[in-house]
Amino acid sequence: MVSICSLLVSLLSLALLSLAKSSTGDSVLVVLEPTLDQANFSVFFDGLKKKGYELTFRAPKDVSPAIIQDDIPSFSHVILFAPETKAYAGDITPQSLVTLLSKNTNVLFVLSSKQTPVSSLAPEFSLILPPPGTPLISHFPERDTPPSVIPIPTTTNTIPVTSSNLSPIWYSGVSFALGNNPLLFPILRAPPESFAADSTEDTGADAVVDAAEKSGEGLWAGSSMSVVAGFQTREGGRAAWVGGVEVFGDEFANKEVAAGVKSGNAQFAQELASWAFQESFALRVDSIDHHRVNDTTVREHYTTNDQVVYTTHISKFNAETNAWEPFSGITDLQLEFTMLDPHVRTALPPVPGSPGEYSVTFRVPDRHGVFKFVVDYKRKGWTHIHSSTTVPVVPPRHDEYPRFLSAAWPYYVGAISTSVAFWVFAVLWLAGDDKSLYKKKGGKTQ
Amino acid sequence: MTWLLKSLPLLVLAAAVQASVLTLQSPRYTITSPTATHPRSEPVSLVEKPATPVVLGPADTLKLSFQVVEKDDGKGVQPHQTFLRFYDESTGEEGIQPIRVTSGGKAKFELNMARPPASLPPTSPTSPPLKVSLLLGSFAHSPAKFDLFELSIPASQPVAQHPDEASFHLLPEIQHTFRPEQKLPPRPVSAFFAALVLTPWVVLIGLCATIQPTVPHLFSPRILPFTTLLGAFEALLLWYWVDLKIGQVLMYGGVLAVLTATAGKQALGTTGAWRTGSK
Repeated sequence: MVSICSLLVSLLSLALLSLAKSSTGDSVLVVLEPTLDQANFSVFFDGLKKKGYELTFRAPKDVSPAIIQDDIPSFSHVILFAPETKAYAGDITPQSLVTLLSKNTNVLFVLSSKQTPVSSLAPEFSLILPPPGTPLISHFPERDTPPSVIPIPTTTNTIPVTSSNLSPIWYSGVSFALGNNPLLFPILRAPPESFAADSTEDTGADAVVDAAEKSGEGLWAGSSMSVVAGFQTREGGRAAWVGGVEVFGDEFANKEVAAGVKSGNAQFAQELASWAFQESFALRVDSIDHHRVNDTTVREHYTTNDQVVYTTHISKFNAETNAWEPFSGITDLQLEFTMLDPHVRTALPPVPGSPGEYSVTFRVPDRHGVFKFVVDYKRKGWTHIHSSTTVPVVPPRHDEYPRFLSAAWPYYVGAISTSVAFWVFAVLWLAGDDKSLYKKKGGKTQ
Repeated sequence: MTWLLKSLPLLVLAAAVQASVLTLQSPRYTITSPTATHPRSEPVSLVEKPATPVVLGPADTLKLSFQVVEKDDGKGVQPHQTFLRFYDESTGEEGIQPIRVTSGGKAKFELNMARPPASLPPTSPTSPPLKVSLLLGSFAHSPAKFDLFELSIPASQPVAQHPDEASFHLLPEIQHTFRPEQKLPPRPVSAFFAALVLTPWVVLIGLCATIQPTVPHLFSPRILPFTTLLGAFEALLLWYWVDLKIGQVLMYGGVLAVLTATAGKQALGTTGAWRTGSK
């Protein structure tokens, strides 16, 4: 009874707060470790609530609410603000977190320089973390904050998941190297002058050089390291990895990067959350249609050498209107006509004047068999678009070949003249007269 | 350019803090090569960039030496961070190499192209020279960054890519090679042989002209129905060849066959009667 009431209340509140929402749901579980105070992240959490998310808080060791029960995720999104927690309740394990991601639930992971179960999970996502106890520090630019609090400009984004025109962001945490897994991509790179070190005085210089020479991977330094990275799973769930929890904190959000210029932390945190929760850069296929040129019905099978038109409608999620809207902005969509290997791969351009529609006409190969129309669009930062439609291709029937050939003219002429000659003979024989009979008769009578 | 504007607030922040400034004393680089007779040694200017990049061959060695001192009193200093940064602007690849500095500030770095360090970024034959800069960071002094020179090194092995990486970009288009169209002999040849097939008609018409057969009973009411129905049968077969399907042919043909049979019986009976004596 109570659960139904609360469901009705939440539905009502959802209807009232119909602002930017995610395409996969609004319930967010925030696992907040006891050493962090919820009030210190009020800017971030209030921003999420204003967008329409429902936040539920728990500590890592709490048994309820469980993030996953009987293989069904309980929430649409999970924020793990537990960078230094070493022990969790039974429902949060590396396996359960990976299961969540495979069931289209999004997770925001936060790391620290301490070694925890979450930092042991990071290499599964192709992240290479620095040795424990080495936070990211930078002596550049000269400033009055400690070297571990670093302003990072947002202008170096190659994949525009977050805007590149924000004010610099205050950051404190670790950086990590990215493996070459294409599902992983950097959202915010570390500044080129930054590096991971545990020393606090100039005399630690030797230790820095020794660390670089000792470990086979060199020094965690420079802009090839990232501080925020995104991972798009094949099933649709997104994981965002952030090297420090203070990026989301109120202190950094309200801190100024220059006189009168506020940091970009608040907006960056909201944009990161909107990517991680599948609000932005979310695509889906609405419908697929294929038919012969000049034909409107969908056929069960095609004949070799047919001209076929393939059309697909693709939508992008618009967080402001909370709806999927047709999207014609994909310029490099490709269609493959595949039987074991692609026989035809052609560009699928958007149709001008028809939003969301992509169409191409091509000729079916002259091999018969069972083919598939495959659209497989994967780009870093975007959800993956997969669609596969099976269609048999048969060779032409006996009466689908060319009917009359110029090489057969002599045979046509021969056959027709035989018919004509027979008819002429029949006419002559039936209608004609036998003169020899007359002559004979004439001869006889005389 | 916009990056510069965006980082202007950070530079303003920098000016607010007063700390001692670091600089380099007598920075030089030396290139030893197995082919050259004597090593090339040049000082590095901190103020202006050299016009041409430093070129290293596959077996050359670059030795860089300098001393980190405080600008005001020339005292040697060991900064916390002394990094050499190799940066490829075209691809964004970067390599950071820490340099060991003595407590008196003296530093030596050797880059042997025969055994290159792992921190060197990958280069391709078409990439521009690497920009080499020195980063000095210290807890007790202001940080300093010096652009040293541009370095041209031999191309490296290409970066190993994940096997799935290609499917995250545009793939090459594939076009199916179709079997060539069925080749037919040229039409004039077919027309010539069609005409050749018609030549027996010429012979037939010639022979008929010599016989000069007469057809007095052509329009007789006993003969004409049969001949026209026979003609219609031939026309039906021609129509079947062009257009009809078997079911329709059998239907029309069935009707026609009954009529033709009756007409034919009558016609043949008539010719028989003529032959036996009525004419």
